[in-house]
Amino acid sequence: MKIHGSHTMAAPRAAVFAAICDPDALLGVIPGCRAIEQVGDAEYRGEISLRLPGVVGTYRTVVRLLEADPPAYGRLEGQLDGSLGTVTGQATFRLTESGDRTTIDYEGNAVIGGPLARLDARFAEGLAGSLVKQGLRNLSTRLEADPPAGAASGRRQPTREIPA
Amino acid sequence: MTVKAYRLPRSLPEALGLLEEHGPELLVMAGGTVAMPLINEGISLPEAVMGLRLAGLDGLERTGDRLRIGATATLTQLLNQDAVPMLREAARNTASWSIRNMGTVGGNLFTPPPGGDVAVALLALDASVTLASTRGDRVLPLADFLTGFMRNELAEDELLVEIGVPIRSEATAYLKLGRKHANTPAVVTVAVRLEWRRERVADARIALGAVGPHAIRAREAEALLIGTTLEAEAIAAAADAATQGCEPFTDGISTEWYRRRMVGLFVRRALEQLTPGTREGGR
Repeated sequence: MKIHGSHTMAAPRAAVFAAICDPDALLGVIPGCRAIEQVGDAEYRGEISLRLPGVVGTYRTVVRLLEADPPAYGRLEGQLDGSLGTVTGQATFRLTESGDRTTIDYEGNAVIGGPLARLDARFAEGLAGSLVKQGLRNLSTRLEADPPAGAASGRRQPTREIPA
Repeated sequence: MTVKAYRLPRSLPEALGLLEEHGPELLVMAGGTVAMPLINEGISLPEAVMGLRLAGLDGLERTGDRLRIGATATLTQLLNQDAVPMLREAARNTASWSIRNMGTVGGNLFTPPPGGDVAVALLALDASVTLASTRGDRVLPLADFLTGFMRNELAEDELLVEIGVPIRSEATAYLKLGRKHANTPAVVTVAVRLEWRRERVADARIALGAVGPHAIRAREAEALLIGTTLEAEAIAAAADAATQGCEPFTDGISTEWYRRRMVGLFVRRALEQLTPGTREGGR
C-alpha cells in the first residue's frame, strides 16, 4: 500500500514540526486516537480506534522517528496491531515554508497483514489516504486557531540520526 | 473470535444507550448489506453487533415542504415514494430488488464508492442529516457530513437517525453509467438540480458519484452555470470544470481515465436534459 500527498497550512514550519513531535497535539489530531504517550526520545505508543462501515476495531500503535532534520524533514516507521491484522510501514515527510505558510509533502509505504489484507487494495489506500488528510486538516485547524507563542521559523538544526 | 452478542434495540434511546455502553467496539448495522459480507468472509470480526432494524428509525413521511427519511428506511421505500422523483430514480438505479429490500438509505451514505448512489442524489437535493447521541441531536448539511473515503463527521457516540430533503418543484436530472443496465456499480453517477429565475439559472447543484473519495459536488461547474441560459457554451464549460475538479479512480469497474471522460459527457447530457425547450418535464 502506497500513499503520498501534500497539504498546506497557515502556520510556521517550526510550529508544524513541533506539533508532529508533540503527543498532546497528536492526540487531538490523529483520527480515532484515544491515547498516545512518548516512551523514548523518538518513540511513541498509542491506541487508535476506527469505526468504519462494517468494520470496527482498536489498534495499538508504535511510531519511531528514525531520522529528523527539524524543521524540514523527518522519516518514521510505524506499526498498527489489532484483532483484524497488522499494518507496518515507513514514511517520510518534508516541510517547506513560503511566507507564513508551510507545505508538508509526505510519502509512505505500508504492508498489511491478517484479515485486513483481504480488503481490496483500493480500500486500504483510500482509507489510509483519507485518514492522513483528515489528520492534516485537524492539524491545520489546531495550529491556525492557536499559534504557539514564540514559534521561531527557519532555524536549521543539525541532522539527528536516531538508532533504531 | 467473532460475534458474541447481537443486540436489537426497540427504540432510539435504547440504541444510543447501547452505543454509549459498548463504545466504538460496537458494530452498528442497519440493512447489513455492507457489514454481513465482511463478517462472513472474516474480514470484520466484531464481538458485539447492534442491529437497528427494530429501533423505529424506518419512517418515511412528508412534513410540509420536507421529506423526512428515517435512517433505516429501505431503498425499496425510497423507490415507492413520489414526493421527490430524483430519489425514486436514484433508488431504482441502486443494486437489485433483494438488496433494495435490505439496504437502507442511511446505510447507503456509509457505502464507499463506487457504491452510494443515493448520496449523489441527496447532495444535489441539499439534503441534511440528523445525528443523535445521548448529548442531544445536531443537524448537518450532507455536504459537510461526508469528509473522506469511508470517513464522515459522525462522532463515536452518535447515530445517523434521519435524512431531511427539501421538496421542490424544479426539474432535476439523474444519470448513472454502469457496465450493465441494472444492478451495477457506477462508472459515474451525475445528479443535477437547477433553480431558474426569468429564464436564467439562479442556482445550480451538480453532484457526482464514483469519481472521488465520496459523493462530491462539482462546485466550480455549478458556479459557471449561474446567470446563464444554459446555452451550449455554458454547458461545455461546466462539463469541463466537472472533469477537471473530480478525483476518479481505477477499480474492477472502470479506469480512472474512462471515468474522467465520462464525467464530462454525463454532466453535459444531464444539463442538456434540463435545457429549456428540450426539458423532459421534470422527472
